[in-house]
Amino acid sequence: MNRTTQKVLVVLGLIILLLSLVYFTGDITSRYTFAEDLVLTGLSPVQGFFSQLGTRTYHFFYGMFDYHRLHEEKKEIRDELARRDNLQHQLLELQKENYRLREMLDFKERTEYELLPAEVIARDPGYWFETITINKGYADGVEQDMAVVTSEGLAGNIYFVSRNSSKVLLLTDSRRAVSALVQRSREPGTVGVVEGYPEMKGYLRMINLPPEANIQPGDTIISSGLGGVFPKGLVVGSVLEIDKDHYGLLQRAIVKPAVDFNRLEEVFIVKETPSAKDLDELPGGDVSDYY
Amino acid sequence: MEQEFWANKYYLSSYLIVVFITVLILVFQGSFLAFTLTGNIRPDLLLILVICLAFLWGEERGVVVGFIAGIFQDIFYGPALGFYTLSMLLPAYLAGLGSRVIYTDQVIGPLLAVFLGTILHEAVSFFLVELFWGNEFPLSYYMETMFLPVAAYNLVLTILIYPLLFRAEQAKLFYPSFK
Repeated sequence: MNRTTQKVLVVLGLIILLLSLVYFTGDITSRYTFAEDLVLTGLSPVQGFFSQLGTRTYHFFYGMFDYHRLHEEKKEIRDELARRDNLQHQLLELQKENYRLREMLDFKERTEYELLPAEVIARDPGYWFETITINKGYADGVEQDMAVVTSEGLAGNIYFVSRNSSKVLLLTDSRRAVSALVQRSREPGTVGVVEGYPEMKGYLRMINLPPEANIQPGDTIISSGLGGVFPKGLVVGSVLEIDKDHYGLLQRAIVKPAVDFNRLEEVFIVKETPSAKDLDELPGGDVSDYY
Repeated sequence: MEQEFWANKYYLSSYLIVVFITVLILVFQGSFLAFTLTGNIRPDLLLILVICLAFLWGEERGVVVGFIAGIFQDIFYGPALGFYTLSMLLPAYLAGLGSRVIYTDQVIGPLLAVFLGTILHEAVSFFLVELFWGNEFPLSYYMETMFLPVAAYNLVLTILIYPLLFRAEQAKLFYPSFK
């Protein structure tokens, strides 16, 4: 066997080996391999340091070159705070009323979620997948499939866990789908990804909506709790526009995510999710109602 | 020095240095750069390094560099082990072959290699995604919105990076014990 044939055989063997590796480790439900666990555990503090440095640099330059916009934003935030203050009072009243009504109807109180704060220490620099790495791992009680949220809404779920860090599959990743419904009308559907035009990158789409679905632009989309990964009632985003699917049978909606995925810095891991039993007891009835 | 290139002690130190630089770039790219450049298009420093070194060192050592960089990228950010490794190998190999026909002391060669290598790297990624998970859009869509802008970005950065690597190679900085 001459040297060229040897080379070709080595390259072919390597390609087959690597393709098999992708096949066997590409399942999003798989755990970290030992090598990944070892490297990521050792390097997560370094990643944390660099991401902090990156965030601070961004904020420094953002503040320097965008002074006027920041000034305007400050004014808007002040006005918004005043409006929210007013809303908070109304909300308190409604909360009290809700509590009284729940007691009257003998509803079980909704399960409280235990939230574990985590910092984003890295994100996939490539373009094919939407994942971030956070600085909490199985040593902190993090498990696969736990939901990840921010104060704005649902961000994604844990798909790989190592000792001190975990990888989060964001909602904008095409491998992620969330069962969701329209908060106002309670229409069921599924949230996937919108990538139709460059300017729509990072947006989501809600599919499988019946033709008569009661949905309109501006509606808030929340998680339905079906599937067991995401708790019910987490805000996914708001509807931008609605059109028909390719076959003209079902409706679909473009959804603007509540979370700014470009600027994720801190997240919360939902450590406790309500069981299917709890879901059935929530107002809205049996989970089968959503189909 | 031609035979047994992967076992040659002369080259071993250079591969260890590549491991070190790869880890540094991956940490920098996934943390600092990802938090400062928040747009859709970001340069791929690791790919620039791989293609430039492959151009300097030839196709055989280029493949080793591509393998090292790819496997570490898989460990850090990959959706599966082997994904980035596969997409790094082909550009590295071809860039190494390119150095046979273009002089390594002129920046035009690596510029061309990085531009075409970036497109090739993304095209291989496209086919792997298609094979294992499925793409939403045709290749032409990604070519227009992603491959070409990233290739242009990488090309500009190569003007700065390649001369540094070339000088490091001339000064034998990759082979400290043989200086």
